[in-house]
Amino acid sequence: MERQGPLFTAFVYASALLLTAVVLAPVIWLFVMSISPAADLSAKPLNWWPSEIDLSRYRTLLSAVENSAGAAFIASLMNSLQVAGMATLAAIAVAVPAAWAVSRTPAVSWSLYAVIATYMLPPVALAVPLYMGLAYFGLLNSVFGLALVYLTILAPFTTWLLKSGFDAIPREIESAAMIDGARLDQILRLLTLPLAAPVMATSALFAFLLAWDEFFYALLFTSDLRAKTLTVAIADLAGGRVSDYGLIATAGVLAALPPVLIGLIMQRALISGLTSGGVKG
Amino acid sequence: MSALEIRNIQKRYGDVETLKGINIALESGEFLVLLGSSGCGKSTLLNIIAGLAEPSGGDILIGERSILGAHPKDRDIAMVFQSYALYPNMSVARNIGFGLEMRKVPTAEREKAVRDTAMLLQIENLLDRKPGQLSGGQRQRVAIGRALVRNPRVFLFDEPLSNLDAKLRMEMRTELKRLHQLLGTTVVYVTHDQIEAMTLATRIAVMRDGRIEQLGTPEEIYDRPATLYVAGFVGSPQMNILDAELTGSGLRIAGEEAFPLPETFRSAVTAGRRVKVGVRPEALRLASADVTGIRLPASIEVMELTGPELVTTARIGEQRITACLPPRTSLMPGSAQVFCFDEAALHLFDAENGRSLLAR
Repeated sequence: MERQGPLFTAFVYASALLLTAVVLAPVIWLFVMSISPAADLSAKPLNWWPSEIDLSRYRTLLSAVENSAGAAFIASLMNSLQVAGMATLAAIAVAVPAAWAVSRTPAVSWSLYAVIATYMLPPVALAVPLYMGLAYFGLLNSVFGLALVYLTILAPFTTWLLKSGFDAIPREIESAAMIDGARLDQILRLLTLPLAAPVMATSALFAFLLAWDEFFYALLFTSDLRAKTLTVAIADLAGGRVSDYGLIATAGVLAALPPVLIGLIMQRALISGLTSGGVKG
Repeated sequence: MSALEIRNIQKRYGDVETLKGINIALESGEFLVLLGSSGCGKSTLLNIIAGLAEPSGGDILIGERSILGAHPKDRDIAMVFQSYALYPNMSVARNIGFGLEMRKVPTAEREKAVRDTAMLLQIENLLDRKPGQLSGGQRQRVAIGRALVRNPRVFLFDEPLSNLDAKLRMEMRTELKRLHQLLGTTVVYVTHDQIEAMTLATRIAVMRDGRIEQLGTPEEIYDRPATLYVAGFVGSPQMNILDAELTGSGLRIAGEEAFPLPETFRSAVTAGRRVKVGVRPEALRLASADVTGIRLPASIEVMELTGPELVTTARIGEQRITACLPPRTSLMPGSAQVFCFDEAALHLFDAENGRSLLAR
């Protein structure tokens, strides 16, 4: 708009600030908690601002001394990276051919709806069968087992996202390549996948986040440092007789870092993927 | 030897018959335009020739060899799509050379072919760009270049100009005509634009409801339309179609006085038979006292000056008629005038089935 009154401008800024505050408040409070001394967090009334900056918990959690809380935390961080990474890679690998097939063959799109329907089941319903299955294959308390379970959650989701990405690529481009003499694998490798790259990046990021944040299955299917993920480790911090709220907050800050970093790195691809404007005929 | 032969091609989707037996034989170097409104099956036919769709029956031969079941890449064809379908992630040079690249043509030879094609289409300066950086007309040229570079036996065009603005469309039309005259290639071209069809084609197939309504040279289609549909589809403004009645040896248009029927139609005469009279707007003139030909008294309603001509709408009884008159004709709305036209410009169609009554 060319003409806007000062009142309107003020309103726009106020709305933006309000949204920012609502979105950022919990994160900022999490960070403040992580650097507050324990006394401040248990004081009544609560000290919203720390009396002094206390970074000891970061040292605790990042120390590599054996059998310390830090070692456990770092081990769970590694488990989370492995589980989420493997599940995401596998999900993309499964989803790309499936999504392409469904996108180019509308007649079988019902199958995708059928898969999505399984999403409606609450995780609790699947917990026992999955537990027994994993136990049978000896995959309980294993990063591979957990990644396999996550794959079942991520694959439908990524397939769905990728399908809409492939839908946006005109079929005529593939027809033209076919007439030009390209084989199916060449069409996918040289044209379709590069054109779908933004959507693939978006799907991968969301899949990674989904796996990273998952708590329920991780709690059920892991029991010690070999497979426990971050979410479970953080819960463990709260589970003892004395809870150090600052320590939990610190773990939360550290747990949030990897996804934020990945998000920042993939920012451009992510945005063009979200708006799907990246593909032009 | 025919370059392309379409034999009784049919296509059904479930109960819907999209193509009901199409037969066309095309000599080498011909420019065939499939003309029709949307949904007439022309694009389906093109896709079947290209191998992007399979027919339910019939056969297609390119160079005397059946290509049914052959992969599109083995049919010796190239296709230009309505949306251009350029590869957005590749440079113009690679777009044009992609077909050769896939066919493992050596790099040096490929680059030369791409350069020659680009030169022909005057797009040498664009070779390093991506399609997204090109204007509509430039993309169109790249799409044509991609087809030309492979030098196939048959070119297929699917409404290639419909995404361009009016001025550019005229330029590209001329360009296509120039290329066809220069290269003498065999072309099948789908369009719904009758001007494109008239100007480009060596033969036009007017299609309707999965059938060929008429197949002929542009002159035949324009001068001797076989049906009412063809008569109405080709020509702008549209041919005037008037209800009329045969009376003995004459013809009466909607209650006006009858005029004697020209020789050529005498065989069709059955008194009282209802017919449709067709006469093109550009065949109509204002009658002066001494003029010969068929006379139509009418009352003028609207005049529109387009520049080269004065498009005049008038009323004959309850029916409207359009005439293209010289631009400096002085007329008054509401005035009574007499139009006239030569006997040769008269078309008669059966009122029921729309077929031309011209003895052939």
